Amino acid sequence: MDELEFRRRIYADPETTDSDVVEAAKEDESKRSFWNEQKQFDKQLKQALKVDVTEDLASKLIWQQSADEFTRYKRRSRWYLAMAASVAFTVGIGLTMWYHQPLSLGGQALAHMQYAEMEHAHSLLPVDLNMVNAKLASFGGSFSEMLDGVEVANYCHLSTVRSLHLIVNTPQGKMSVFVVPERGDIRVPSEFKDSQYRGESIKMKRANIMIVGDKDADLSGIKKAVSERIQFSA
Amino acid sequence: MLGRNKSDSGQVLSGMKAKHQRYEALVKAFHADIYRYAFWLIKDQSIAEDVVQETFLRAWRSLDALNDEKAAKSWLITILRRENARRFERKQLDTVDIDDCHIQDDTQHADGDLKDRELQRLLGGLSLEYREPLILQLLFGFSGEEIANQLGLNKNTVMTRLFRARNQLKEALEKQNEQRGRVNG
Repeated sequence: MDELEFRRRIYADPETTDSDVVEAAKEDESKRSFWNEQKQFDKQLKQALKVDVTEDLASKLIWQQSADEFTRYKRRSRWYLAMAASVAFTVGIGLTMWYHQPLSLGGQALAHMQYAEMEHAHSLLPVDLNMVNAKLASFGGSFSEMLDGVEVANYCHLSTVRSLHLIVNTPQGKMSVFVVPERGDIRVPSEFKDSQYRGESIKMKRANIMIVGDKDADLSGIKKAVSERIQFSA
Repeated sequence: MLGRNKSDSGQVLSGMKAKHQRYEALVKAFHADIYRYAFWLIKDQSIAEDVVQETFLRAWRSLDALNDEKAAKSWLITILRRENARRFERKQLDTVDIDDCHIQDDTQHADGDLKDRELQRLLGGLSLEYREPLILQLLFGFSGEEIANQLGLNKNTVMTRLFRARNQLKEALEKQNEQRGRVNG
């Protein structure tokens, strides 16, 4: 191996273990010293390459990893949060729809009858045609002629539906007339009853009227009187 | 059922813990040399630190892809070189002419005694194509073949560049000594 080739090989890799380089060095004293010189030079180069590393670099690298993990975890949990919110939203919608499903007022009217016994006029004014009509006005209705025997005229709530409750004294006993506004979410059965009372309803254009009396009472008379005398403006 | 879930999440947790330990081991073993490599590649302390941070962040995120611990060094170097290349892409997007930017050459401020500083200046003066293989060889003890693989060059090219790198350093040193000799004499 000539001098130039030997130098090339040593310059390229002073740590070489290639047998031809090793052999060449064995045979030649000057090659050996050149090699040693190069090894020494490499040591110096390695030393020079070892620039200082910022003391806290390692901690920084570990810290940024946990920060990264944390933000990713947060992003992930935000995803879960969104999922939970979406589920809650669906449940909410479902509940609302369930809550808003048509109310059947027959049962409500019957239940209300339990209190009707104790009920008396909230107003001190006498129950006359004007007073009843004033209260009916909010439903857009009026009586052309007063019903006989009206004792009480109160607004009351059947579930969430505001209605006008008239308690009427008839030859058949006390009866209740409920005027209920027509609403999409209300269902008024044409007949209903329980162990004590029974009721029938009259469907009108803008309202439903429920008449509830004793379970044996004949409702036809008052039903006729109401439907003849009540009218609703279009 | 519950019991199984519990042990599953336990495994996930201990898996996470193992991953953390692995990452920390990686940082401890390689951060210094990886930083030095970045520094000699970039010749700027703070940019080198940024690139190293990016590198380790990427390494953490894809730590599961590292199957062979022996390959860790070259895996990190690959990530770092990619991150460094991205830096130049970003620079180009900013439409800044690289020649107009005065890039501070920190190699001259690096610590060390006089001899070190002189060699550092000379190393920093080598062009990147000679500097990079030499640094891989000196810093990581890579063979010509390993350097060739790392840089995507063929081995002969690498050996030639290594030879030229040392040759240039030697010539520069001799030139300096001659000048000094003349001044002293």
